[in-house]
Amino acid sequence: MKRVCRPLLAAGIVALLFAAVRTAPAAPFPVPPAPTAWVTDTAGFLSEAARVTQDKRLEAFEHASGHQVLVWVGQTTGDTPTEEWTVRAFQAWRIGRKGIDDGLVLFILAGDRKARIEVGYGLEERVPDAAASRILNEVVIPRIKAGDRDGAVTSGVDQLIAAIGGQSAPTVEPSFPALGLPQWIFIGAVGLVVIVLMVRYPPLASFVLNLLASAFFSNMGSGKNGGGRGGFGGGQGGRSGGGGATGRW
Amino acid sequence: MATPSHGVSRIGLVVLGIVLVAGISVTRGYNTLVQLDQQVQSQWGQVQNVYQRRLDLVPNLVETVKGAAAFEKGTFTAVAEARAKVGQVSAWMPSGPAKDSVQFGRFQQAQDGLSSALSRLMVVVERYPELKATENFRDLQAQLEGTENRIAVERMRFNEAAQSFNATRDSFPTNVVAGMFGDRFREKPYFTAQPAAQAAPKVKF
Repeated sequence: MKRVCRPLLAAGIVALLFAAVRTAPAAPFPVPPAPTAWVTDTAGFLSEAARVTQDKRLEAFEHASGHQVLVWVGQTTGDTPTEEWTVRAFQAWRIGRKGIDDGLVLFILAGDRKARIEVGYGLEERVPDAAASRILNEVVIPRIKAGDRDGAVTSGVDQLIAAIGGQSAPTVEPSFPALGLPQWIFIGAVGLVVIVLMVRYPPLASFVLNLLASAFFSNMGSGKNGGGRGGFGGGQGGRSGGGGATGRW
Repeated sequence: MATPSHGVSRIGLVVLGIVLVAGISVTRGYNTLVQLDQQVQSQWGQVQNVYQRRLDLVPNLVETVKGAAAFEKGTFTAVAEARAKVGQVSAWMPSGPAKDSVQFGRFQQAQDGLSSALSRLMVVVERYPELKATENFRDLQAQLEGTENRIAVERMRFNEAAQSFNATRDSFPTNVVAGMFGDRFREKPYFTAQPAAQAAPKVKF
């Protein structure tokens, strides 16, 4: 009896351990800080010359069309599925313009031997999944397999730029939320208080005005820092919804 | 006039203050809940969009595979049945996710059923290399993979939105406000992990 029980017990314990591991949400592989260039290579995948050339090209493309297209080469996404990780990275880096979501990232994970094109919501029409898949499986990956890594990224960028096209998507004007009666009453009351303060305690009034101004403009500041000349302006608030394709080699 | 009314006006002020504070916190709680509820609703819309996208893809996919693998009847029937079930649940779940958690469960079950029927179809296709080589099939495969990935993403974001709604709903003082409005702010259900992702690993000795 005992002999039968032991393996059963062991199996039970192992199963419990697995159950515990399964139910505890596995810590997702961390997303690195947002890139500071259009082409980032953290895995020594590209030659410096090719990296700089493509970086300049994508910089020019963004200034001309507004579309933010990035290349990011990393080593691995750990135990986290590639697609899950890339969508989180895209979200964290805020690629593409806010409200237009016209960003795109070509991810290459050298250690995992995987590549993924992650497409922002706003470019899904221009780069549908089938097109992304073809670019990866017919252009990028065959060249990586052949050992031509620079060529893989260069021609991948060629194809992506061709697919997206140069014409600029319409820019979205920042809109102010519509104000209801209570908000107007509140604004009126605040305005009245500020006027009273101005008359009686001018220094306090200027302090209050500063406070209001900083509270107001901190809301608007985000998403306006991109597109500056001479350097990568960072993400601008774009999002992706898992569109694109993944390829392996 | 000042002396007798002094005490009264003081009490009046305190009462007014309490009423004001209570009113403000109820208003803020209500507004927060409405805002979070809107986020859940709009995310629900996204979830439905991507599911619809998949549904639209199925006939094309089935036709293409049928052309090369006509005798895999069982697989096609399974896909057709799963698709019909999704049609049924989608018909009475157009607007909100939280009207009924039982319906939500059925919705998810039907959609997951279609997921597994489609993945079995793709397994069957492995036996037909000449089909896999065609451009048309490859495009469809890429679309299906992309759509399944979108579904995973939007489901995850729905759960995040639902979680932030539920957390606010259950914490003080918004729980009192939620209680005052009854069904208006019912707890939101979650999508659970898909069966394939949940399957326990086999242990061998």
